[in-house]
This record gives sequence, C-alpha cells and structure tokens, in this order.
Amino acid sequence: MTASPPTAPDRPPAPRPYTLLAEITYRCPLRCLYCSNPIDFARAQAELTAAEWGRVFAEAAALGVVQVHLSGGEPAVRDDLGALVAHARAHRLYINLISGGTLLDEPRLEALRAAGLDHVQLSIQDSAAAAADRVAGAPVHEKKIAVARLVAKLGLALTLNVVIHRFNIARVDDLIRLAADLGAHRLELASTQFYAWAMENRAALMPSAAQYAAAEATARAAAERYRGRLEIAFVRNDYLTGEPKPCMGGWGRSIICVDPTGRVMPCQAAAVIPGLEFANVRDLSLGEIWRGSSAINAFRGLAWMAEPCASCPRKEIDFGGCRCQAFLLTGAARATDPACRLAPDHAIVTALRERATADEADAALVYRDVRTSRKLTAAAIAGGGAPVRSN
Amino acid sequence: MTPADPNRDADWRPRLAARARIQFDAIACQDLLLFPEAALALNETAAAIVRLCDGGRSVSAIAGAVAEQFSARDPAAIAADVDDFIHQLGARGLLE
Repeated sequence: MTASPPTAPDRPPAPRPYTLLAEITYRCPLRCLYCSNPIDFARAQAELTAAEWGRVFAEAAALGVVQVHLSGGEPAVRDDLGALVAHARAHRLYINLISGGTLLDEPRLEALRAAGLDHVQLSIQDSAAAAADRVAGAPVHEKKIAVARLVAKLGLALTLNVVIHRFNIARVDDLIRLAADLGAHRLELASTQFYAWAMENRAALMPSAAQYAAAEATARAAAERYRGRLEIAFVRNDYLTGEPKPCMGGWGRSIICVDPTGRVMPCQAAAVIPGLEFANVRDLSLGEIWRGSSAINAFRGLAWMAEPCASCPRKEIDFGGCRCQAFLLTGAARATDPACRLAPDHAIVTALRERATADEADAALVYRDVRTSRKLTAAAIAGGGAPVRSN
Repeated sequence: MTPADPNRDADWRPRLAARARIQFDAIACQDLLLFPEAALALNETAAAIVRLCDGGRSVSAIAGAVAEQFSARDPAAIAADVDDFIHQLGARGLLE
C-alpha cells in the first residue's frame, strides 16, 4: 500500500463527510445470496484493533462525521464490539449497529446500550422462516425475530432491513405487517443492488418489472398509512427504473468507508474498479486520506464527467449514477451508469430486464462463504482478471 | 386509511423521541438533530422549538414561548410555523 499523492493545487476543498461506514470485519455466520462484501473477502487479514478504530472515530469526528455505521460482515463476531461502541460514543457519534442479529442476546444488547449504542439495523431475509433461511444459507430466521423483539423491548431504535429480490418480493405486505408487529420504528425495503455476491446471483434475484411495480406501489401506500408510527423506506432497483441512483450521495462527498483492514474507500464496493489505490488508516490520518487520496478524488465532484452527464441538468442530483456499476456493466468506470435511460450503454440494462421477465429463478445459487470466496478468487486470478464476474 | 395519529391531538405535549438527539455542531456552529442514519441541521428557531418539546408543554404553549424568546412581531405567523414544524417532526416519528 502506498501513501496517496499530495493534493493537487487546483483541487477545491474537500467536502465534509457526515457518515462513516465502518466495516469492522468480514467474518459472518450467514451466507446471504446478496451479500455486498467483496468476492475476495476471505483474503482480508489483520483487522483493525479496537484502539485503531478509536483513533479512526476521533479523526472522523474531527472531520465532521456525526453518524457511524458499525457494519460487516457481522459486527457482533467481534468480542470487542462494546469497546468500539464506547470509543464512538466518546466522540459523540450517533451509533448505528448494522447486524444480522444471530450473535446478540439480552445481556450483550444491554451492555451495548450502556456503552452508548443508539440504533440497531437488523436484517431479516423474508417473512416466512423457510424462505428466509434459504436466502441466508443458514437456519437463522426465528432467532432474528426474537432479537428484533429484544431490541424493541430494550428501548433501542430498531430498523428492520429487508433486501428485496425475486424470492421475497411477493411478500412485501407481510414484511410491513411483521415490522409493525415487531415494534420497528423504520423498515427499509431495499431492492437488491447488483454488486459482489448479488451480482453472482443476479439472474436468480432479479424480479420482473411487474413484480417490482406491484411491490413499490404496496410500499408507497403503506408508507402513507403508517406515517408517524413506522417509517417505510423503499430503495429502488435502478435496472428497472431507468433512473440512476445518486450512489453514496456522490463519490467522496458525504460518506467515508473504512474496510476491516483499514483501507479507506468512497464506498464499500469500490475495490472492484481496477487501478484505484486505497490509502490505509494505518499509514495516514483519516483527514489526510479524505483530502488527498487519489482513489477518493478519482470521481469527486463533476469535472470527471463525459457526455451525456457533463451537460445533464440532473448531474448534481444523481452524480452520474454509480461508478462501480458503470465498471461492472461496461468495463469503464468513467462511463455514464447504464441504469440511466440516457446512457449510451442503457441497452445492457434493458436486455437484462427483459431476460428477468422470461426467466424462472432456476439459476444456480452462489452462497457467500469463505470456501466459495477462495474458490472464486483463485479462479479469477488464474483467469488473469479481478475476482469479479464479467458481464 | 386514517392512522391513529396522536400528533394531531390538541392536547399533545410533544417530547423528543428517545432515538433522536439534539447536539451542537462546532464545525457548522449550529445544532444538529441526530436520529437513525440521518441528521437535520436546525436553525436557531428550530433548535429552540426542539428544546421546548420536553413533554410538558402543548404545541400552542411552545409557540408562545418561541414568540416571546424571539420577540416576534407576528405571533400568529410564528404559531403556524411552529405547528407545521412540530407536525413534520411528528410525522417522521421524531416527536412523540
């Protein structure tokens, strides 16, 4: 790992990051088909220690960060999670724990609350146990439901996060009722974003346009019905909408991500883009990296854009979409995100959309686990490519 | 379709939800309202309103206190703004 080059003299001042995504480990007892961790996660060695994270939180707060997401992997695999929470609280961060829940119980949650935890975002995979466990690749649903009730009982804020795909999209109504019944304050119905393991399983996970439209309408109607009691957020599937997402609110703009080994990235997927060099918090301060890292500056602002983005009235709304998706679908990270109906490569996405309507979900499923990570990584290296699927 | 919305009750004495936190931000020199995965920047009036939502005052009492605190020339307009802001926060579940 090399240090980043110094800031170019003509570069505008770095924006303020408000959110730190701290991926404190890639270890996880679940094997979810849609996992966003990199395919080669099993290569990650030497996780940052609690003391190192404490320094990162201090530097993040000094930069302006007010929200930290303790994520993974499963953050609760770390025995020192309480110490991490206490470090974050000492720097007045609002602390969100992004967890699958299976390693949490009442004493542990009470200790985390006492250390300063504010909010638990708990993932579930479906409303029905058998279907949920199939997607998670492990028998975990009942335990997760029990943990959701515990979080609510202890008075912590509870968000239920459900990644939506072909296998559960018909049960959005049930999921909304379940969230209300569990005492969640917020429900995120998050359409699968096709990166990493979700990309491996894209043919199986992609819903049809009709399924998607019905689910979105259900979610929007429920959001009105539950206003003031349960906030319902629906994250769209940009393959189906024709509108690119403002990924991370813009590259290097308001969110900063640190991976389990200390690499600093504009988003957790950015390592798929070849040629980006990520600075590490073990070598430099977070502030130096946020301002000067070549990777964080690679697509910051609007100057990097080509047409049709450069003259688009929406360029400060969607920032040209997602650089990782542009790379994954076209091979060029600088291209307009093909999810955009104005993109020269939009036909790539429309072809996939039509295929989803015709397909049944009979594609082979690729579960996220250490063995498969090693296998896919070795195959990619042997093939001379990065450990990602080519399209 | 009409939800049971306690926030529309005339006797409502709003209180900041336990999951929300008001915190002074030294970089922007203003108060931030922090809640799960998000933050709202509060101007001086908005911050005063949130601080008055302590579970002991009705919405009209809060409006009166804000009008007095900021020596408002038009208390009726202030009352409408306060009512609107409080109900917006209520709709997001940030006031109970």
